[in-house]
Amino acid sequence: MSDPREPIIRFDHASFGFPGLIALKDISLAIYEGEFVGVIGPNGSGKTTLCRAVLGLLPPIEGHLRIFDCACDELRCHHRAKIGYLPQKGVVDRNFPVTVLETVMMGRYGALGLFKRPGRKDHDIALEALVQVGMESHKDNALGQLSGGQQQRVFIARALAQQPKVLILDEPTTGLDITTQHNVIELVQHLHDELKLTVLLITHDINMIRSRVDRLVLLKTRLFAAAPPAEVLKPEILHQVYGKELVIAEKDLVIVEDYHHHH
Amino acid sequence: MLDLLAYDFMQRSLLAAAMVGGLCSVIGVFVVLRGLAFVGAGTSHAAFAGVALGYLMGWPPLLLAIVFGLATVWITGWVEERGRMKLDVSIGILYTTTMALGILFIGLMKTYNAEVYGYLFGSVLSVTPEELHTIGALSVLVLGLLLLFAKELYFIAFDQEMAEASGVPARQIFFLLLTLVALTVVISLKTVGAILVFAMILIPASTAYQLTHSLTALTLYSATIGILTSVSGVMISALWDVPSGPAIVLLATTVFFISVFLSPKRLRRLHLVHSN
Repeated sequence: MSDPREPIIRFDHASFGFPGLIALKDISLAIYEGEFVGVIGPNGSGKTTLCRAVLGLLPPIEGHLRIFDCACDELRCHHRAKIGYLPQKGVVDRNFPVTVLETVMMGRYGALGLFKRPGRKDHDIALEALVQVGMESHKDNALGQLSGGQQQRVFIARALAQQPKVLILDEPTTGLDITTQHNVIELVQHLHDELKLTVLLITHDINMIRSRVDRLVLLKTRLFAAAPPAEVLKPEILHQVYGKELVIAEKDLVIVEDYHHHH
Repeated sequence: MLDLLAYDFMQRSLLAAAMVGGLCSVIGVFVVLRGLAFVGAGTSHAAFAGVALGYLMGWPPLLLAIVFGLATVWITGWVEERGRMKLDVSIGILYTTTMALGILFIGLMKTYNAEVYGYLFGSVLSVTPEELHTIGALSVLVLGLLLLFAKELYFIAFDQEMAEASGVPARQIFFLLLTLVALTVVISLKTVGAILVFAMILIPASTAYQLTHSLTALTLYSATIGILTSVSGVMISALWDVPSGPAIVLLATTVFFISVFLSPKRLRRLHLVHSN
């Protein structure tokens, strides 16, 4: 079925990695403006590679990737500034001597371009981003003094300060307690609804997102599915990717052998 | 002590020390935050090999120091970017190779050359007016570029990939930082010497790191500590007739240990441990 909308990101038979070490192979996928897409798959399935590709950091070795109707290797700085990114936890040094507001202000640097100093307007945008994630009262605190969940909120605010069209979150709930995980996902949902952002959320936690996303993208080096959750979360499809028999049991997704073991 | 300040050589030395101290401590902030500490050490030894080759061949030593310093940082940056080798391994190899070259060039000179050793150990009290002009011009260039690209430099120090993903030309800024580190090392050779310049880059920024959580404050504290310890070190050197390089570095190290002891971060951690 063809979609009348123009995709904001389009993979066309695109492969990524190095010759002999392919991380993603023959991906054809279109992501439309305003979509909330969950990206799932086992460890090493190419989820982060997909994320780096959409950031324009990894050109395809075969096929094509177009972002905002630009080939990804033609992506200019002002295009990149339109993609907000929350990297995996642990990538950034959380003890870096920086305040919350200084961290969020970094989100303005790409959009500002070289030689320009952040002004009052950038300051206001950064403060507004902190308000959107509920962290404005912490603006002068050191980033390292915050809890894991608060730091994730600050990094989301940094991405929002770019005033992005697309928000990419790479496993934003890893290492957080259940309540905080829920709050972070709630925040992402809220931002998607309020700001009409296109969201790509990479996660292992299928239960947390399946009722929220428009589509799930299921990866294991190849693209196994890109469809609404109900069509993707079928035992026969999941078995191909995870190598175990998985079913939706009542509300939750469980591994069948573990389910039998516990009951 | 005031009598000393009347001498031209002393005025030149203090000015050179202030410029080098300020410059090293400002670039040191980015070196410490980006984790390039070992690059500073490797570059200073490479630059010294350039100086030694300059004296051996009768070529301008500072020019060759710049060539050797830049070649070292660029090769190191290129190797890291390609993911071929870890940064500390590649700089370790270049560090020892260029030091071996430096010793070889000195050996080939056959006669003792006190000026070469001046670059190894530092001799700020013998800075000439021409050298002061060179230090001044290069300091203005490096500080100007640091100021111009400060926001991008902070961002790549925080997270280079995130900076690139946000639209900052991170790769070019990283090579700019490496280039500025090499230039700073060369500018500082005469003042603190190849062995100790690394300390002047590292210690003031590490001292400031103990005292603040803010990037802006970190840079201002580091510059203040760098300038004050360098100028005070030169005064101590002149008053007590001790070598200037070690006087500056040992003074800076003393301030560093005091800052560790009085660090608000450390005191807060202690408070948290006791309150638990």
